[in-house]
Amino acid sequence: MTAPLLAADMLPDFQTLPAETIELEADQIDRAWQLSRLLPTEAKQWWTYLNSLALFSFEQWLADRAPDLAFDAQQGSILQPKYANVIDAVGHLRVGEFRVCLLVAGSLWDQHLTLLRAVVELPEWLAHFYVVVEVQEELSQAMIRGFLRHDQLVQQLQAQDLPTESDWTYALPQTWLDPDPNRLLLYLRLLTPAALPLPQRPSQAAATQPVDLVALLPSLQSPDTPLWQILSWEQGATLLANPELLDWLYRLQTAPAERAPALVEQLGDLLQLFSQQAVNVGRWLRDELDELAQALPWVLLPPLNPALRTRSFRAPTVEAESILRELECTTDMTIPAQARGAYQDIPFAQVALRLYAITWPLSEAAVPEWTLLLILGSQSGAGLPDGTKLRVSDRTGLLIERTASRDLGPGYLFVRVVGERREKFLATLTLPDGTALTLPPFSCC
Amino acid sequence: MGAASRYWRLIKIDATSQRKVEEVASAQEFFRQQFPAFCQPVEVPDAQIQTQLLAWLQRSEPSREATISHLAELCLRCFISSQIEQTCIQLETLFGSSHSFTRQDLFPFVLNDLVLEKPRPSAYRPLATEILQTFDPRRGNLATWTARLVKHHRELNTFLLERGVYLVSDWAILNDTTAKQLRRILSDFHQLTPTEIERASLLLASYHAVYRRDRLSQSTSRGKCPPPNPDQLSQMVHLCRSQTTLEFSAESLLAQLQDLAERLRQYRIYVRGGSLPADSLQDPKVNAQASHLQAPADGSTEDEQSQFLRRYHQEFVHCLDQSVAQVIQAQWATLQGRSLQSAQDFIAALKLFHCQGKSMGEIAQQVGLKAQYQVTRLLKLKSLRADIRQHMLAALRERILAMAVNYTSPDQLQSLDRQVEAALEEQIEGIIQSAEAEASVARNRPLASLFAQRLCRHLDLRNQNL
Repeated sequence: MTAPLLAADMLPDFQTLPAETIELEADQIDRAWQLSRLLPTEAKQWWTYLNSLALFSFEQWLADRAPDLAFDAQQGSILQPKYANVIDAVGHLRVGEFRVCLLVAGSLWDQHLTLLRAVVELPEWLAHFYVVVEVQEELSQAMIRGFLRHDQLVQQLQAQDLPTESDWTYALPQTWLDPDPNRLLLYLRLLTPAALPLPQRPSQAAATQPVDLVALLPSLQSPDTPLWQILSWEQGATLLANPELLDWLYRLQTAPAERAPALVEQLGDLLQLFSQQAVNVGRWLRDELDELAQALPWVLLPPLNPALRTRSFRAPTVEAESILRELECTTDMTIPAQARGAYQDIPFAQVALRLYAITWPLSEAAVPEWTLLLILGSQSGAGLPDGTKLRVSDRTGLLIERTASRDLGPGYLFVRVVGERREKFLATLTLPDGTALTLPPFSCC
Repeated sequence: MGAASRYWRLIKIDATSQRKVEEVASAQEFFRQQFPAFCQPVEVPDAQIQTQLLAWLQRSEPSREATISHLAELCLRCFISSQIEQTCIQLETLFGSSHSFTRQDLFPFVLNDLVLEKPRPSAYRPLATEILQTFDPRRGNLATWTARLVKHHRELNTFLLERGVYLVSDWAILNDTTAKQLRRILSDFHQLTPTEIERASLLLASYHAVYRRDRLSQSTSRGKCPPPNPDQLSQMVHLCRSQTTLEFSAESLLAQLQDLAERLRQYRIYVRGGSLPADSLQDPKVNAQASHLQAPADGSTEDEQSQFLRRYHQEFVHCLDQSVAQVIQAQWATLQGRSLQSAQDFIAALKLFHCQGKSMGEIAQQVGLKAQYQVTRLLKLKSLRADIRQHMLAALRERILAMAVNYTSPDQLQSLDRQVEAALEEQIEGIIQSAEAEASVARNRPLASLFAQRLCRHLDLRNQNL
């Protein structure tokens, strides 16, 4: 693999290009270029460009050498700027059943290979094989310089007691690389993944909770600030394992400065959204309440379609039905027969509130969707204090916020949101004096 | 140190690129007058002579002085021509035979000085003039500077690249160097002071901010990295000035960036040298690591191998045939996707190599490729053989149930791969290597190995079916 050492002292920097050199096509280069444009700093753009070239080279190499192997780069981390923004490698690749991570080497031949701790230590980023792709950008060429097997790498790290650098990397000696790409193909073609088991969960006793990051993450607004200067490795590990947070960070670092405060404000909601257990309203449709809903407590309302029920009941049911009828008249909302709901009484010191949540599936869309209708009123029926707010957000930020006003409204607030099956919503009630309550998120499955 | 005559003999080429030596009488006369002590054909102190010549060259007084200046320049240009020739010879020695070129191919690019006995303004600017004009004695000696400019000569580089010999540009090296790497290399390898390192880091950051940004600013500007243009340099100077009180001019910035790249290049050369098997074998520590990570020594004896082959002979040959067919067909399909011609060349070259024992150089001629290097790239024999072996292992797994092989251990798999390799081998690896290395070796008979025999049989069958 390596170019021969030259005897003459004047000309040793010429190198011969091996027969196995991979030529990059114009459209691959153009795609890499477009991916690089999505990153917020010049340095990140450059390394994303090289990493993308590494990915397309590897793809090309596999297609040429082993068209029999299935290569899946759909989830390739470099294709998603939220990952490319923080991980200088190409993770989340699959060759057959194996997970592969690419590390790019440029024109400088360093005796150390920079390996991110994240890709060897975090289960989300682990790979069976780490493949070093040398990219000669100015020649539009690349070659497979060598690879590391995860099991051997971990053994070696332990045996040599290699220290981690302060920037969350290992500086591996190049000699650890197996320089024969044919051996990589041998494994990929003929080994079963069971031969190279990957650890399932990390041994992080004191893992950081995402919510502990609320105060720190806003300091990362400048995309030039490396994560390791602000966060401890444990905190970083939590961040890097968390796609929603990485997405938020990418938006923070690429948004215009005036959007930043809104994003920072949204962070609290975001963390609750994915770190808290959600109430599964999908089960309401099957006449069930999950344990969380029972504990809150949500009280399931009987089917809202009068034809489906025999007796009339307690006040909340009657009240809900009358509000829903009113909504159907005053808005263009149609509440189908299979809709189900529940209510929860919220006894704030200042005022006793009641929140209704109604859900139904939307099957007409190409992608199955569900809807959540929230209605906030008072238990007494006397209307809400002026300035009471009800807001709903999802992972992309605030979706809707309504404020009660005695002059305008019907004495209750309502919001309706629609999302795909996997989306979650977070509702927050705020009283005029600022007292706020954020409920556990709603999910549908 | 070298002969005095280098200062009055101009090495140049004639119309057929043949080397010619022109004795420049005026330069010789001048040298004799000025350096009477050094006129014998013995070793002369270059540094001392060049310092004096340069001092004369830089005088810009009228009349008589102008003549001295011109004569000093003639002597220096003669010296430069000999250095250029030396560099071409070195390139030929290192790469010429394996990459099909001679010094005569290189001369026209760089050995292009014409001596004019009288100074005359002219648009023609030979490399020697550029070397002299850019030479700064504070940055090294004239011989080194000459070699550096020859090495980086654009057309020369393009020519060599076509033959598979690549010199990475300064700018590509700087592009791919991180601030962290730079600090480590300058402190550990070059042992610079913290102040020098700070300054270099600032330079590199300014360079990245401008040069890499521009290189990525449009998708079309690809190809070999050119030196920063004046506009880019002035932006870099501006950035540097905004962060330090040190003064930079565009010219000095360019020189400093080149020197920085040269330092990284020195490190790069050291690392590339250090990663060679020949070197690592001498370093017991590296070797221990390497052998731990890579294939364990081949423990199977010749007897075991022959047993393996005897026992599974039928299956073995069958699987070999099947794999040869699969891999060659796949490669044919891939190449055909790019061009039918190269797919046909591939089959023809395979045949010439394995079945007729032709050398790479002969194959290049017969299939109409420029250099044997291109044949090497077309055939990729090592990859081809590895692919065939691996297909065989997959086929063997299915056919030989008695072996009950489930490849669940990497070591066991590697060992089987080596057994198959050994059974196919019969020294073909050595033949490939020498064929790739030497254009002249031709055997003109088929290769004797089982691998080659079955491959040729396949090519014959293929031919009949077409």
